[in-house]
Amino acid sequence: MAFLTDFLTRRGAYLLATWRIWRDTARFAGRAFVTAATPSAYNSATRGVVMKQIYFTAVQILPGFTLFAALLSFVLIQIVVGTAGEFGLSEYALEVSMRLLVLELLPLVTALFVALRSGSAINTEVALMKIHGEIEAMEDAGVDTLRLEFMPRVIGGMISVLALTAVTSVLALALAYLAVYGPQWWSLPDFNRVMGKVFDTPVLFGILFKSLAFGLAVTVIPVSEGLATPRKLFMAPISVLRGMVRLFFALMLIEVAFLAVNYI
Amino acid sequence: MERPPVSPPVNRPPVPPLVKNLEFKIGLLLAATVLLAVAFVVYALFARGAFQATQTLLLTAPEAEGVTIGMPMTFSGFPIGEVKRMDLSEDGKVLIEIAVVQADARWLRKTSVFTLEKPMVGAAKIKAYTADLKDQPLEDGARRELLTGDATKEIPVLVEKVKTILANVEAMTAGDAPINQTLGNVATVTGRMAGDYGVMEGVLGSPDKAKEVVDALRNANTLLANLNGVSLKVDGILAKTDREVFAADGVLPQARQAVAQVNAILTDARDSLKKVDAILANVQTASADAARITGNVSQATTDMARLRVEIDDSVRKVNHLINEINKMWPFARDVEIKTP
Repeated sequence: MAFLTDFLTRRGAYLLATWRIWRDTARFAGRAFVTAATPSAYNSATRGVVMKQIYFTAVQILPGFTLFAALLSFVLIQIVVGTAGEFGLSEYALEVSMRLLVLELLPLVTALFVALRSGSAINTEVALMKIHGEIEAMEDAGVDTLRLEFMPRVIGGMISVLALTAVTSVLALALAYLAVYGPQWWSLPDFNRVMGKVFDTPVLFGILFKSLAFGLAVTVIPVSEGLATPRKLFMAPISVLRGMVRLFFALMLIEVAFLAVNYI
Repeated sequence: MERPPVSPPVNRPPVPPLVKNLEFKIGLLLAATVLLAVAFVVYALFARGAFQATQTLLLTAPEAEGVTIGMPMTFSGFPIGEVKRMDLSEDGKVLIEIAVVQADARWLRKTSVFTLEKPMVGAAKIKAYTADLKDQPLEDGARRELLTGDATKEIPVLVEKVKTILANVEAMTAGDAPINQTLGNVATVTGRMAGDYGVMEGVLGSPDKAKEVVDALRNANTLLANLNGVSLKVDGILAKTDREVFAADGVLPQARQAVAQVNAILTDARDSLKKVDAILANVQTASADAARITGNVSQATTDMARLRVEIDDSVRKVNHLINEINKMWPFARDVEIKTP
């Protein structure tokens, strides 16, 4: 009996902790959003942090990531076009490849890439700051850490994900045109028709919201996870690990939600 | 208390920025992102026909299965419009509203026909057909009937027909089918044709028979060659005969000559016989009057002897002539004229 009580207590505590961290994350996201919406929150210091964040998250990796995305897009488009041709459904190849790449795969791959590169870095940084008491020290000194440290990171991360998604998606469009019609201009009306069919207004808003949600998750979850780190040095890796797993989970959840809204 | 003098500020070298041209790079990326996003939205609107003038076309169909909003209507395989709305009309038919791009509306005429095709694989297709492009253009808001052709409905009928055809084909291709036997015969004949005597062997059935025909032909050839020689010889003989018989010194002219001679001789003979007649009359007269005659007998006997010589002479001439003719004439006969 005691064993069962103990087990249930531990499960319950774990569940509460999980719920608490998600609640903290949501609360942090809300506060960051409110701060970001306040014009007075922006000054040269905030802008500097935003710019550095964008630089390290997007500009630095832009050439390499663009090349990778182009390669991935090209291979997938070729596979889709070839398979559709084999089944005599070439007319659907362009639509399918566009839905696959621009709507689903490229935003997700971008978010995952940014999560692995910048999300983990942010998580580690915030966790170490928390462990070393730097955050408390700053707050004691009257520094608004949310405004100066965390909100700019969120803004930068979101803009980075949006920028990378936009660049790779447009590249994928061009590659798809080349793969399906070859290097000539005459098929543009046909291409436009298919694009018009794929990117109707709900889908356009969907892509925008999805990318924003990805950008938000990629920065908000690592920051909140880092802030929740207990002040013990050995907890830093555990904090990063938890943050990454939760981030991956959140990204997949957003993707599934987008798919469900779009197709069900 | 005097404060120690403030040391002059240390001239620290300026800290190099973390990243060169950070602002410019970020600005560039942001500008590019905004540009791409705006361009993409504008492009999507353009692709959806937001900037294109359209005219409506209403199609009525008994059912709208397979028709979806946004489905294209094609003309000659090119999309010229798309389904905007669908509704049920008062009489229970489906009303499909199609937005036709104004620039492409010229392909639609008053006599245009619209069909809904449902292939076995893939989505249904609305197609427009225009037979006469010089007809009056289709007015805006025109209402037409959508003709449906469902390929899947035809399948059971098709399967039945195909079964019958397959049964026929099976009967035709069976081992003992006439067509198979015919083909076998053809194979035999063509096989023979490939032999030494070619088509002839194929027609006659075996190489031996073909050989016989060839031999017969060869014999006929030889025979013809011989006949040719014979006819050449006959030609020669005829020429010779011609020469012998009809030449100036040939048989016929000589014969003619001989006949003339015979005539002359016969005339002589007639004359001689007349003389004999006269003599015999004289003899009669003489016998009636013997006494008188006796005196003249010696004279008469002399005359008789002379006459005899003349007659003999004539007969000898005739005989000679007949001999001459016999010599020349091939149909010799033992002919002799003898004096009585």
